[in-house]
Amino acid sequence: MGIKGLFPIIKDEAPAAIKEGDIKNQFGRKVAIDASMSIYSFLIAVRSDGQQLMNESGDTTSHLMGMFYRTLRMVDNGIKPLYVFDGAPPKLKSGELARRFQRKAEAKEGLEEAKETGTAEDVEKFSRRTVRVTKEHNAECQQLLKLMGIPYIIAPTEAEAQCAVLARAGKVYAAASEDMDTLCFDSPVLLRHLTFSEQRKEPIQEIHVDKVLEGLNMDRKQFVDLCILLGCDYVDPIPKIGPSTALKLIRQYGTLEKVVEYIKSDSKYTLPEDWPFEDARALFFEPDVRPADDPLCDVKWEKPDIEGLVKFLVTDKGFNEDRVRAGGARLEKATKSSQQARLEGFFKVIPKTDEEKAVHKRKLEEQNEAKKKKLKEDKKEKAKAKAKPRGAV
Amino acid sequence: MLEARLEQAQILKKVVDSIKDLVQDCNFDCNDSGIALQAMDNSHVALVSMMLKAEGFSPYRCDRNIALGVNLVSLTKVLRAAQNEDILTLKAEDAPDSLNLVFESSENDRISEYDLKLMDIDQEHLGIPETEYAATISMPSAEFRRICTDLMAMSESVTIDATKDGVKFSCNGDIGNGAVTLRSHQNVDKPELNIDIELTEPVGLTFSLKYLVNFCKAQALSSTVKICLSNEVPLLVEYGLSGSSYLRFYLAPKIGDEE
Repeated sequence: MGIKGLFPIIKDEAPAAIKEGDIKNQFGRKVAIDASMSIYSFLIAVRSDGQQLMNESGDTTSHLMGMFYRTLRMVDNGIKPLYVFDGAPPKLKSGELARRFQRKAEAKEGLEEAKETGTAEDVEKFSRRTVRVTKEHNAECQQLLKLMGIPYIIAPTEAEAQCAVLARAGKVYAAASEDMDTLCFDSPVLLRHLTFSEQRKEPIQEIHVDKVLEGLNMDRKQFVDLCILLGCDYVDPIPKIGPSTALKLIRQYGTLEKVVEYIKSDSKYTLPEDWPFEDARALFFEPDVRPADDPLCDVKWEKPDIEGLVKFLVTDKGFNEDRVRAGGARLEKATKSSQQARLEGFFKVIPKTDEEKAVHKRKLEEQNEAKKKKLKEDKKEKAKAKAKPRGAV
Repeated sequence: MLEARLEQAQILKKVVDSIKDLVQDCNFDCNDSGIALQAMDNSHVALVSMMLKAEGFSPYRCDRNIALGVNLVSLTKVLRAAQNEDILTLKAEDAPDSLNLVFESSENDRISEYDLKLMDIDQEHLGIPETEYAATISMPSAEFRRICTDLMAMSESVTIDATKDGVKFSCNGDIGNGAVTLRSHQNVDKPELNIDIELTEPVGLTFSLKYLVNFCKAQALSSTVKICLSNEVPLLVEYGLSGSSYLRFYLAPKIGDEE
């Protein structure tokens, strides 16, 4: 899932790229959401007593509950969501998928075992790990979205890539996903934590890719190379290369080709046998997506079909009728009210002068330096404390 | 270094009071022409622009451009220690860590002195183009405040229509609707109650009342307010201060959906 350790790197090297704020600051924006990932997280997180929610006939309803209420939360805050579903996975992902499948199988075995011998906690842990998003889950969510008047599209392959294309073309303001991959697909803005529950009180993270590149002082190609080296969904990570080494290698050698050359020639690192980084790179640069001007990408936010919602959610799925109707009313209200504009639409940001940029950069470097120094000293202190024999005063 | 002496502390007190709910942290940019401030609220809907000209201080000295990064809640706490009629002096080094504030009582020899820690704020500046507004309305600031609070009870937004007949503030809410219409009006005895409408073309725009009510906190600074409108640009609400200093608020309009 995603790129390992990318977020801390961005936070250290390009803090200006990350903005955090309330969900209400996102009002009026259209956002493309990675639906498959959201549904997966709903299946895991929307539970009661560790059990997935079910209706009377025993069908899971966690995904619908999550989809309905989290979408309502966005709509209440003036966001216009557009859901994008995964199509077929790209071939290169088969390794990752096989691994995930294996993990699921293991978890299933574990679950059986835990049910026999383990504690309730174990059972819950393993049952979360066995979660899979099925075709039925997707189909039900799509049906729900249709009734809610919220548009969705099905991507040819990866949903994140499709979200990124829509955002790049200006069809939506941002792509929303927890997955940092989305940055590699060149979405100008990535929103994280958007589909989280209100109770978690997590601020919405806004990551701007241009500021990331500026802060890292890299072009997009180098950035993607860095992400591949950090470990993405398409190729295995290289053992012993963590975030700081990866960053150092890319900075030193410039391209992944040269890094690979270095690793092969002489180094303490070993390349996995099959490491098709060129293919992975191609997937990030030319993903199989629908162009944003495709008629299938023309989306509309419509009025909800309240009777349809009641029939589907209340009659079929056992939701509370009053709540569903209230939710429908909220959706209807949102389609009517006028939108607040932002000042940026009228006044342009004055770009910073090079001098200001330089000052800012110097300050940042000083900060990072100080942080590193402190970390080092802390470590030293700890080592010292450890070195003392036990019981010595 | 910066040294600026203000005859009446209340000017700064009131300015900070009227913007502190809109903006948390901001830079006071000091240069030889005066002290300026520009900041947006978190959701980038409203913008505050303040200018305290050097002439408003006596004396005023600032040899280099200095940005004072201030947390307005903290500044409010310090300013609370100043009486309205106190003489206030601001002092800062060229690359300051703190801002020194001295309050001298005009009645007795009481002198209080505070140092406020500053912070590093990386702020975006917006370029605000000079605009010839289609409608400019001057009115008593208390009147504007009353209109905003009255209509706020009915709805969250107000539509301002300026035509040759006058200015109409109208709103439409769940419980009903309401409107206030003003016409040009001269009061010979009390010129501060004049209502003056200048119009080059009719304008109609909708704004969030929550923000307008917030702007009205600046009523304490000036008895009159100037409201400037043009179609499809942000609204300008200006409170004039002594000399050519000012406190301005800009507010982005609400727009009907394009779909």
